[in-house]
Amino acid sequence: MSITVNVHQALRNLTNNQATAEVNGTTVGACLADLVRQFPGIESKLFNKQGKLLNYVDIYVNQESSYPEELAKLVKDGDKLSITLMIAGG
Amino acid sequence: MLTADERERYDRQIMLREIGEEGQEKLKRASVFIAGAGGLGSPAAIYLTAAGIGRIRLVDHDRVDRSNLNRQILHWNNDIGRSKVDSAIEKLKKLNPEVQLEAVNETITEANLAQLVAGSDLIVDAMDNLETRYLLNKAALDNDIPFFHGAIYGFEGRAMTIIPGKTACLRCVYRGVMPEEKFPVIGVTPAVIGCIQATEVIKYIVGIGELLTDKLLNYDALNMEFTEFKVKKDPYCEHCGHMKRKE
Repeated sequence: MSITVNVHQALRNLTNNQATAEVNGTTVGACLADLVRQFPGIESKLFNKQGKLLNYVDIYVNQESSYPEELAKLVKDGDKLSITLMIAGG
Repeated sequence: MLTADERERYDRQIMLREIGEEGQEKLKRASVFIAGAGGLGSPAAIYLTAAGIGRIRLVDHDRVDRSNLNRQILHWNNDIGRSKVDSAIEKLKKLNPEVQLEAVNETITEANLAQLVAGSDLIVDAMDNLETRYLLNKAALDNDIPFFHGAIYGFEGRAMTIIPGKTACLRCVYRGVMPEEKFPVIGVTPAVIGCIQATEVIKYIVGIGELLTDKLLNYDALNMEFTEFKVKKDPYCEHCGHMKRKE
């Protein structure tokens, strides 16, 4: 099962400047765990110490918000995950 | 009713079948509240003034700083140290004296927001911090005023339109908080997003096109990509959950 993850610009320094990564998993949480396995530095930018997504990180599956299921949301082969960070500048 | 001068000034947009004289009159009757006279507020205010919005209230508590000038295009070198709203309104009046322009040099707070937005038909979110954006979102919902969100960071920008009681609100999309920070930005990014916000405002007032409702538009300037993320109204939203639109 292959899922493509689009990595937010601000996190690409943690993925060897890769804009996308291929991961495996049947849920958003499993896919992100695989991403962290490949790029351990990204973990603290996505999760708090309790393993919950940070509240300024949003995950979209095929451009639809994963909220409220978030990490439990099911994904299938070929799906695209997008990691976005809240922005507030003006 | 448009004057002869107005017909001449807006001739090229009245030519648009989507706008026409009827649409131009709707723009003239509209009252828009713009929160922020900075990177987003500058292009939004310029294009709404040029388009012939009847009344614009521009609110900002800040003064022009040299470091604003790479992006806040209503403020020029000789404005450094002036109130941003005074600096902005001076140029906007020269651009279009037909528009009623009001400068409000105040900090937006929970206490004064209801008074600030009173009488406005639409709210443009051109702020630079999340806390005030949430206050504006709540005030828009409470007062049943359409809300036009924009935000930027570096080469990235976002925009979303919120119709109270009907569509997902800003709090349905963003549930977290972020510390206020000095953010990186180059002027072309807020230029694009501020223009998108102004476009949404014009479309809403005239009643044309498809709005950015229930979707968050993401603009990636580095790759020149626009992506629409679908979002849903959250029934448990802290701001709009179970809210009914006033009839």
